[in-house]
Amino acid sequence: MAETHSLQDMRPQAAVAAKVFIQRDYTNGTVCQFQTKFPSELETRIDKQQFEETVRMLNNLYAEAEKLGSQSYIEGCLACLTAYTVFLCMETHYEKMLKKIAKYIQEQNDKIYAPRGLLLTDPIERGLRVIEVTIFEDRSLTR
Amino acid sequence: MPNSAGKRFKPTKYIPVSTAATLLVGSTTLFFVFTCPWLTKVISPAVPLYNGLVFLFVLANFSMATFMDPGVYPRADEDEDKDDDFRAPLYKNVEIKGIQVRMKWCATCHFYRPPRCSHCSVCDNCVEDFDHHCPWVNNCIGRRNYRYFFLFLLSLSVHMVGVFSFGLIFVLHHRERLGALHTTVTLVVMCIAGLFFIPVMGLTGFHLVLVARGRTTNEQVTGKFRGGVNPFTKGCCGNVEYVLCSPLAPRYMLDPRKKPHVKIQPPFIRPDLSDRQITIKVSDNGIHGTIISSKSKSSLDDLDDKETQPPLPPKADRYNQLKNQMTSSEESSLSGKTHPSTPAMYKYRPSFGTMPKVHYHTAGEKIVMPDDRKTSAILEEGVRGHDYRSEPNLDLPEYANAPLHRTFQSSPLQLDSDPINSRSLSLKQGHRRPEKGQLSALQPQTVTSTPYKSVFSPNTLSNRNGSLSYDSLLNPSISPSTANECMAHRGMPSMGFHSPYLPTKMCHIREPEIQRQQVASTYSPVMPPRSVGRQSPHPRDRDPSPVRYDNLSQTIMASIQERKEMEEREKRQMLHGRSQTHIYAQDSGVFDGAYGGSRDNLMGVGLVSYGQRTPVLRHAGSTLGRAPRTSSTSLHTDHSPEGPYRSPAHQPHSPAMPRSPSYSHQKLSYISAHERTDSPRLGGPREAMKVNGQMDCHPSAQGATLSPSRHNNVKKVTGVGGTTYEISV
Repeated sequence: MAETHSLQDMRPQAAVAAKVFIQRDYTNGTVCQFQTKFPSELETRIDKQQFEETVRMLNNLYAEAEKLGSQSYIEGCLACLTAYTVFLCMETHYEKMLKKIAKYIQEQNDKIYAPRGLLLTDPIERGLRVIEVTIFEDRSLTR
Repeated sequence: MPNSAGKRFKPTKYIPVSTAATLLVGSTTLFFVFTCPWLTKVISPAVPLYNGLVFLFVLANFSMATFMDPGVYPRADEDEDKDDDFRAPLYKNVEIKGIQVRMKWCATCHFYRPPRCSHCSVCDNCVEDFDHHCPWVNNCIGRRNYRYFFLFLLSLSVHMVGVFSFGLIFVLHHRERLGALHTTVTLVVMCIAGLFFIPVMGLTGFHLVLVARGRTTNEQVTGKFRGGVNPFTKGCCGNVEYVLCSPLAPRYMLDPRKKPHVKIQPPFIRPDLSDRQITIKVSDNGIHGTIISSKSKSSLDDLDDKETQPPLPPKADRYNQLKNQMTSSEESSLSGKTHPSTPAMYKYRPSFGTMPKVHYHTAGEKIVMPDDRKTSAILEEGVRGHDYRSEPNLDLPEYANAPLHRTFQSSPLQLDSDPINSRSLSLKQGHRRPEKGQLSALQPQTVTSTPYKSVFSPNTLSNRNGSLSYDSLLNPSISPSTANECMAHRGMPSMGFHSPYLPTKMCHIREPEIQRQQVASTYSPVMPPRSVGRQSPHPRDRDPSPVRYDNLSQTIMASIQERKEMEEREKRQMLHGRSQTHIYAQDSGVFDGAYGGSRDNLMGVGLVSYGQRTPVLRHAGSTLGRAPRTSSTSLHTDHSPEGPYRSPAHQPHSPAMPRSPSYSHQKLSYISAHERTDSPRLGGPREAMKVNGQMDCHPSAQGATLSPSRHNNVKKVTGVGGTTYEISV
């Protein structure tokens, strides 16, 4: 059978060495914020600033998603008026922000974290409770 | 009712919701069919319209409350609860707006329930902002659907009131024919409405209060905030606004969506540690440890610029941390805390710890010519850094033996990246600078600054084993590039450790000694469990240099500069086929000059240079060599806050350097001149040194004061931040 995969694809993914969980920061209530404290396990893998920048950006995105602004008012009224059938057609503001966040995380993974053997998991998959950072084994060091 | 194998079908739980739905829809339908036509005729068509709308609203909210995910948390992955499951306490406290809130461990869902979250036993799920489980909608009321539940209650109340009122009007107008169908039906509807009026209104009122106060039913019923402060309240208006106008919260129980595949393959980029990890041994007062500094390269680069101002206070903390983390080999607490200034130190820190000679040898690198050593020696005074390349063969184990040493691993990148940095590091902006130009100015026959450079940047810095020791400083390994260069120039590639201060002969002599030393413990100055002290048992012995990165920057710079200069000079010398003594002399001169200009901590370097000169002097038979050293040592005794961190004096240069007195004399004069111009700071010691250079007896006097109890080769050099290093010359 013709091999259509590149050799790169055929190589197995690096093994997972550890997982770090960035917990939620509840100091401001139940607003979705994550702790920006740099976990010690990542010290050898990524810059502190880089990581904190990522988390801060995520926090900002979530804060914007949960913001009680005109967007949310209009959406609410519209929903009421249409007996919530608008939810069948339209995406809510929060959902739009979640997509943006997913894209941001994907981009961060591709550009920054994957080359360093790390992988960020979208916290929505964990119920917005934690950001899971998977640390991959650096086989190059063991060679 | 079919019973599926996996899931138990409990019909009973659907009874309330079915009942509620039936009653609602049925009653309203009856109302519309039997009561509304008359009302339309008699009162207005707006009546059914109004009722219709309200009913629609009720239905919509009822549906949303019933079918909407209330905010169920998915079960935690195994990986997440690995730590928590066995050792975790039942409760975890978190502070929210100043109030301690307890988070309970959920055994079913395997995570600590976020604040306001509760586990619903009916649904068997943890629900966010759990309010209650409503049997009438057969659903939990949580964050996502509380608004619809609340609106349902409100609209149902309104609807009930409307239906009851209009029914009453109908009945009152049809009093005489109560037995008629329409009237009967209307009466029934009114009864139903009346019957449920009290509970529904009661519930509505209750929730109105809850919304106003910003509490959930669960919190109210369990009395969480009884007599206390609710950290989740936003004020009455804020709470109402939050309930009614906040955006629809997201669903957590999503279908597993296809995630974009992210390829993760080693090798991975490391922030500041690349494959080359440099271990720097910092001699401390008995604390050892391996610290891997993980500084980002960028931060390191930044440090280049900031090298001159490493913040002192944090450094102290860092040292403490170092102490505490001696054993942490993998993660450096330092890296987290040490910050940008540290990389500068790394950068400029030639390795101190190992016997330069040894390293050079094993590494197969170029042996540092005496000049180089001088430079390194000088440098090491102020510089504590890892000699990245200078000691490629730094054997970690050897270093590890040094009880007083802490091993730091820092990215060699830092050091390597800047060969020129060493120059820039030089504090002596004026004089240190430049190597070639100044050196030539100072000493026509001096070598170029290349040796310096080679000592520092590639070599000194890239100490694989990274031991910070004066030894490495003394004998900075030459980087491969420079090494080649040096090779060409130096005549003694085969030499082992060549202390800058020692003549070739001495080097040979010392070699076995060094080897021995190295084997026994790490670098002689560094390895032996030297207490802070300065005593060096052997001439070569150097006390472990307490590596305080922040202290090193200036000193390091200076020493790097010196070293470069020395190397250059040396190279030139070699080219000219000068005798070693010349080189030594020159180097020392250069160093002195360099040191002169630098800060006080550079004095150590100067001292080192003196040390270098010592052999010459001694050779000349004068005791000045020693004297100046000692004197200068005393001068450099800075009180370093870290008392224990005494830099090991370079002791490699055994006094007996065979140098031609005349030559050295000549050189010394240069040196002294240079020094004089350079270092006003040096002050007394300086002068002593200068004097020494000129074969004066001043230093001896001073030296005497200093070294009675010590090895007279020991010089104290003050590093940046007050760290005092002892250099044995």
